[in-house]
Amino acid sequence: MNELRPIRNTLLDVRDLHTHFLTDTGTVKAVNGVSFEINRGERVAIVGESGSGKSAMAMSLLRLLAYPGKIVSGEINLEGRDLNRMSERQLNGIRGREVGTIFQDPMSSLDPVMKISHQMIPPIMRHLGIPEDHARAQAIGWLDRVGIPDAVRRIEAYPFEMSGGMRQRVMIAMALSCKPRLVIADEPTTALDVTIQAQIVELLKELTAETGAAMIFITHDLGLVARFAHKVGVMYAGKLVEFGPVRDIFANPRHPYTQSLLDTIPPVDQPERRRLAQIPGFPPDMKLAIVGCAFKERCAGAHRQCFEAAPEPTPRGPGHAAACWLPEGLGSGRQVERALIPPIEPAGEAGEDRVVVEINDLHKHFTGRSTLPWRKPSAVRAVNGISLRIRKGETLGIVGESGCGKSTVARLLLGLDPATSGDIFIDGMAQMVFQDPSSSFNPKMTLSNIIQEPLVVTGWGTRTEREARVRELLGQVGLDESYMHRYPSQLSGGQRQRVAIARALALKPSVVVADEPTSALDVSVRAQIINLLVDLKQQLRVSFVFISHDLLTVSYISDKIAVMYLGEVVEYGPADEVFRNPAHPYTQALISAVPIPDPVAEEARTAKPLSGELPSPLNLPAGCSFASRCPKATDYCRSHKMVLKPYSKTRETACHYAS
Amino acid sequence: MAHLSIPLPARRSIHFDVSGFNGLIRLLTNRRVQLALLILGPILFLTIFRPYLPLPGPLETNLRAMTKPPSFEHLFGTDRMGRDLLSRTLAGVQISMFVGFAVALLSLTVGLVMGTLAGFFGGVIDRVMMTITDIFLAFPSLLLAIGLVSVMGTGMLPVVLAISLSDVPRFIRLQRSLVLTLRSRAYIDAARTVKASQLWLMSRHIVPNTIAPLLVAASIAAANAILVEAGLSFLGLGIMPPAPSLGNLIRDGQTYLEQAWWISTLPGTVILLIAISLHFLSDGIRQVLDPRSRK
Repeated sequence: MNELRPIRNTLLDVRDLHTHFLTDTGTVKAVNGVSFEINRGERVAIVGESGSGKSAMAMSLLRLLAYPGKIVSGEINLEGRDLNRMSERQLNGIRGREVGTIFQDPMSSLDPVMKISHQMIPPIMRHLGIPEDHARAQAIGWLDRVGIPDAVRRIEAYPFEMSGGMRQRVMIAMALSCKPRLVIADEPTTALDVTIQAQIVELLKELTAETGAAMIFITHDLGLVARFAHKVGVMYAGKLVEFGPVRDIFANPRHPYTQSLLDTIPPVDQPERRRLAQIPGFPPDMKLAIVGCAFKERCAGAHRQCFEAAPEPTPRGPGHAAACWLPEGLGSGRQVERALIPPIEPAGEAGEDRVVVEINDLHKHFTGRSTLPWRKPSAVRAVNGISLRIRKGETLGIVGESGCGKSTVARLLLGLDPATSGDIFIDGMAQMVFQDPSSSFNPKMTLSNIIQEPLVVTGWGTRTEREARVRELLGQVGLDESYMHRYPSQLSGGQRQRVAIARALALKPSVVVADEPTSALDVSVRAQIINLLVDLKQQLRVSFVFISHDLLTVSYISDKIAVMYLGEVVEYGPADEVFRNPAHPYTQALISAVPIPDPVAEEARTAKPLSGELPSPLNLPAGCSFASRCPKATDYCRSHKMVLKPYSKTRETACHYAS
Repeated sequence: MAHLSIPLPARRSIHFDVSGFNGLIRLLTNRRVQLALLILGPILFLTIFRPYLPLPGPLETNLRAMTKPPSFEHLFGTDRMGRDLLSRTLAGVQISMFVGFAVALLSLTVGLVMGTLAGFFGGVIDRVMMTITDIFLAFPSLLLAIGLVSVMGTGMLPVVLAISLSDVPRFIRLQRSLVLTLRSRAYIDAARTVKASQLWLMSRHIVPNTIAPLLVAASIAAANAILVEAGLSFLGLGIMPPAPSLGNLIRDGQTYLEQAWWISTLPGTVILLIAISLHFLSDGIRQVLDPRSRK
């Protein structure tokens, strides 16, 4: 990164790009004057929340926008040729050949009825002008390089025969197969699990370095940026508000939005817990004309000038520019208002609290129908013998990759599904907060009726008493009373999640089960919800079960953590200890896969990402279920099952070689 | 207090809600609905107020004005027995409308109840019901109606029952599929965690969210029923003469098509207009209800 770059090293030069979506209800100015440059072989990350225009910008670069979207003005110079003025025909020679693309959802970006070979080979033949057998050999070579085992055979597979991670590898192989000079990746790892995400990011990094391709990486995950990028552009309301080298952006951000965004991330090392910074309010409506700076309503440093004119990006350092009137952004105002969260009582004292949830040897098997009547049907062991205890006021975090059974545990706890065997004792009631705020409410009911429903169903109080309770609950979750008569569709994701929490608290439950409550939310809103949960935990002494794949958030909010793998708890203990000093190899791998928003720490990271994928829960291995991916596994592990055993005073782990 | 109150945001996605007043406004401002009402409105008005209009009764014969072409005196002309065709057509529309409405209401109600039960409870109930509906769906609906009418006899009630019977399986299927997608929604699970009864789940969470698509289907079924009734009457299986129905009016006129074109053509045009406007209506309802179709 230190070598001097002559000017002609510029690969892509985007000048004042404007993209609008012409809808019936108004013109959405999705991209509103974006300019940046990318040098050869450079990895540039574009970060922003949903609606910031980052995807519209990326798609504009190759003019891949769907109908109502239109590039209104701007230049997209790829090595001196303006892609915006090219004919569709000329552009097709560039798409795939010089610029490769990787899309977010590997499930829908491959044609489901075509074999991989049919999707990969013809483009290589066309773009590189080589005969089919050569193209096939190259395609197989690329599949091999992206880590697809047995590529010669797998190239004849259909997409549905592959897992999500595998399909994304195929997408990468396809994008790189014509040796493009630029790769545009639009959230390529968002749909994947942490350990798979780590593999894919590592792969992209290696392959682009190897082929010398530059890369534009669109993401909302600041941690990934730190791991991956040379340069970072931060988008807000259709504009690049800050652009610069990755270290500068993280160590010395100059735009208030970037600064706030970085502060909303739960810290990795937490000797004491502080409230997360939160960005108040919402992004502006992109249909309305924005006067002045788009961020002014949410900015602590906003002053008169911000309301009058929009700041242009101005240099703040070598290659570093920010669009803010204030030279330092929020400057020293950045660290204020972050109250200390009183530390949780040590285990000894908490031990006097009563246990509100006790789970003993819980099993849940889903039995399929067997194809042959005399054959025993196969069973998926979603939950395979777990035992947990939750005390009053304690938050238990359950982490694990998709398919590990964490959501099944939640459903069993709530009594939504019957357990196959084992016991659950709940002292009081369990209530839930759902993952997807867009489908978790009945669209035909007002918020007042939604929050009241548990009260009405259980016959609690009179009508006026219930309404008073709804007001009280809305106040507790920080919503105005005027929301009572609104419909869910009129709320933002964060507000809906507040309503979900209010509803869950209506009957004063002893435990609230929150299944991925923040994963559908934007970074800035996520911090608001996490702070709210922390406050409620302190005020109401209610227990939470916090289920997530986001380790940083779980370790921030939880007192205890249970790490699940294939239906079993492999490690259990106090959150700080588990996170700082994981004992089980799976926990270690999971934690090392978590992207940390600190480029210096990311560079120093040496651990290799976990290889391989989850084995099928249909036929679990006889021994330790993690043995197939474990770096420490021995033959003993493969044949002998390990149960959760005390590891230290406070912790339990299920590994033969933990100590 | 650490919470902050958040200002009300601009409305982002406008989810349309049929039950409210807002829904009615949106329905009435839809182009297709307006077009449908523009055609249906006058027809309905004349049909309802026919007894009070200066028209001869539909069965009243006038031997001095037999087979007269349309004139100021008889806007639709007269038939070979001197009966006023406008009066007869409007009386026929009355029957058609009744049949359409009755069939839509009957099949909607039965479909709603049975489809909800099948979709919600699944298992044996579902399998039995689906087998029966599949058997019914295997017959072409007009053929089924003809068969049933020839068994049950002619007249209004058998016609309504026959057409409904061939429509009900479609409604059951539709409702069942709607219920199946709703059944796994998070808000159903949320209600179940507070031990809400099955009746509560169905009446508060499932049925209200299926009404909209069912209404669309019902308006199509009404248009279809009007056409099927006309068809049955045309074949001499529906409403029997001398009672007028759009179908038997056309049948009456077809033998004199060369001498007296108006006897068949004008009632036929009215059927066409009614069917088209009901389709416009259903299209409009669908557009209003389905946010994705709005561009």
